[in-house]
Amino acid sequence: MSPTGSTLTREPQEVAGEPRPPGRDRSTRYSQRRRDAVTGYLFLTPWLIGLVAITLGPILASLYLAFTDYSLLKPPEWIGLANFQEMLSDRRLHKSLLVTFQYVLISVPLQLLMALGLAIVLNKGIRGLGFYRSVFYLPSLLAGSVSIAILWRQIFGQEGLVNDVLAKFGIEGQSWVAHPDFALGTLILLNGWTFGAPMVIFLAGLRQIPASYYEAAAVDGAGRWTTFVHITLPLLTPIIFFNLVLQVIGAFQSFTQAFVVSGGTGGPADSTLLYTLYLYDEGFGSFHMGYASAMAWLLLAIIAALTAINFLFAKRWVFYGDE
Amino acid sequence: MKHHAPTYRAARRITALALAGLLLALPGCGGDSGSGSGDPNAPVTLRFSWWGNEDRAKLTQQAIDAFQTANPGITVKPEYGDFNGYFDKLATSVAANDAPDVITLGGAYPREYGDRGALLDLAEVKDTLKTDKIDQAALSNGNFDGKQYGVPTGVNAFGVVVNPKVFKAAGVPLPDDDTWTWEDFRRIAEQVAKGSPKGTYGAEDPTSADMLDLYARQRGESLYTEEGKVGISEKTLTDWFTMTTALRDAGATPPASLTSELAGQPAPEQTLMGRGLAGMQLDWTNQLGSLRKASGAELVLMRAPGESTATKPGMWLQASQIYTISARTKHQEAAAKLVNFLVNDPAAGKITLANRGIPANSEVLTAVKPSLPKDEGASADFIAQITPKVGPALIIGPTGSTESVKILERTNAEVLFNRQTPAQGAKRFLEELTSAIR
Repeated sequence: MSPTGSTLTREPQEVAGEPRPPGRDRSTRYSQRRRDAVTGYLFLTPWLIGLVAITLGPILASLYLAFTDYSLLKPPEWIGLANFQEMLSDRRLHKSLLVTFQYVLISVPLQLLMALGLAIVLNKGIRGLGFYRSVFYLPSLLAGSVSIAILWRQIFGQEGLVNDVLAKFGIEGQSWVAHPDFALGTLILLNGWTFGAPMVIFLAGLRQIPASYYEAAAVDGAGRWTTFVHITLPLLTPIIFFNLVLQVIGAFQSFTQAFVVSGGTGGPADSTLLYTLYLYDEGFGSFHMGYASAMAWLLLAIIAALTAINFLFAKRWVFYGDE
Repeated sequence: MKHHAPTYRAARRITALALAGLLLALPGCGGDSGSGSGDPNAPVTLRFSWWGNEDRAKLTQQAIDAFQTANPGITVKPEYGDFNGYFDKLATSVAANDAPDVITLGGAYPREYGDRGALLDLAEVKDTLKTDKIDQAALSNGNFDGKQYGVPTGVNAFGVVVNPKVFKAAGVPLPDDDTWTWEDFRRIAEQVAKGSPKGTYGAEDPTSADMLDLYARQRGESLYTEEGKVGISEKTLTDWFTMTTALRDAGATPPASLTSELAGQPAPEQTLMGRGLAGMQLDWTNQLGSLRKASGAELVLMRAPGESTATKPGMWLQASQIYTISARTKHQEAAAKLVNFLVNDPAAGKITLANRGIPANSEVLTAVKPSLPKDEGASADFIAQITPKVGPALIIGPTGSTESVKILERTNAEVLFNRQTPAQGAKRFLEELTSAIR
């Protein structure tokens, strides 16, 4: 959004690329620039108000609250670093970090694999591509919703669809969402199902690979697999990287599905206690708003660190065509 | 889902924490847009919140309609939801300075909110909202540090709901609740499960915070002490979990995954008892009506096991729920009128009957009693019958103790899934509860 701002304040001559009219002196140019700047900022105001009131302000407020004991109904009380010290010995926090890392480490690769696989299939130039693309994208729009999470709860419940199918094979099922060994798995599956967005990006990436490379490979007698490993994959790495970064960030912030499937508890036995769910529970369930704010900042630090690591390692495997 | 939308949503969620704080710092920016309290005849809209199922919603709406007819200037907007989400939503709306005018609370919640200045001291509206006919013991459940924060909706007891139909089908005689012990309970539950078709159990897993309190009281302990500390001993908790795991192993109660699924479905019609799939269920007496309707069986109420054989009786009479008024309401008088109507007016009592417990107002009870239908009458009779036998009033938990429900649900899952032994579970529960009320 800031690029928009800089374009607006730029001199019109530069944008138009025309030579300056010779008769103009510096002061008119200056006031013209100023007027443009004012107009630009005026256009920006609605967004700026939004930024300050609903993004920046609350972010700063939560930074302050992270250092307080705040029970929601009484004014906050400054306690310094106590919230962060408490994190060291908070068993549930450690558990929630463990659950979240498990979730991210399994669900993100799963989702990317499904997205890439389908994108490759769809890129074969089959008829009705637009239709299939929409169909496969649909879960991405739906799966974040409460209704799908409720449906998931039913499907994997004691009397759900999964157990009905298992019963046909004579296997006696159990409640999968209510068993600590399987509950997180159902959430990972649900998240894996939402591969639509990365799939569309992969599709766009596949389209960008010049056909001449494939023709050259075909002339050289390369098979399908060789072509994929030596041409498609390397040229797709920037897209894979882009998707990876986005999905990791997104997965760390997953909330709705775990909240609905576990009935807001992160249960059974904290097995689906995603970080954001614990954060919410501390804030709104236990009235520990100060602690919850501190947790939000820890999450920010973790995501920032992981993204930095991602970028660091990217140099080793991401191939930009112009290198 | 994965693009800007979720990132933005999650960011919003986190910043909402802070936003709640900001809103709190700006008194008077939330709340309703009512016309103020200046003119007593100006039309007023009250928001009234409670938890419960559709049954309760229907009855409450009828009572609200009757109130609106009697008070033409006042409109009441109901806000209700199921128990699990109710308190999260309430906390959010109170913090956002958008609390309902009349709020239903229970257990330790009036203290939790009262301590934090969110509730009106009812002394301020005592001319409109009378409490002189209300049962004193139940009234004291809404009184903390000398301030009356709430009025009881009715009187309730925690006991055993029994389905005679299931017992008969299983060929097991009904227990004698004047003599039975916990050992009898275990044995009978097992017999019922053995004699019943697959999927029907002796009982649901009986673990709940109220149940633990009852069990502790039978042993001369209590979940909380008068001083606001944890009162139950590790030994009592270990014994409890030892019994519940034995019940599970014997198939008398469902396997852990079903128990944990049921924990997420608090409505009476979703319980095993409500579906006719259990012989017994530890529950509140005011649930009898809903459970009977859901199961279609003539369920009966019984005293808890061990009441006459343990050291002391553990059962008690308690305000089932408490009506409170928000400290920030702009319509104190109207809100007081509504609460007064609900608890003191026989007209309201004849509509809501025993849905929120047996009416705590003696006059209302007398007026309502003859018209109580069989289902509701049964719980009234049960309360009357056990009143001379119950133990002293319950010690209500201190601020922070409302977390006990969630802590226990977690610990119970750990124990039932064999991730912790009963002794480890007992220790863990005590640690977490102690730190919650610290």
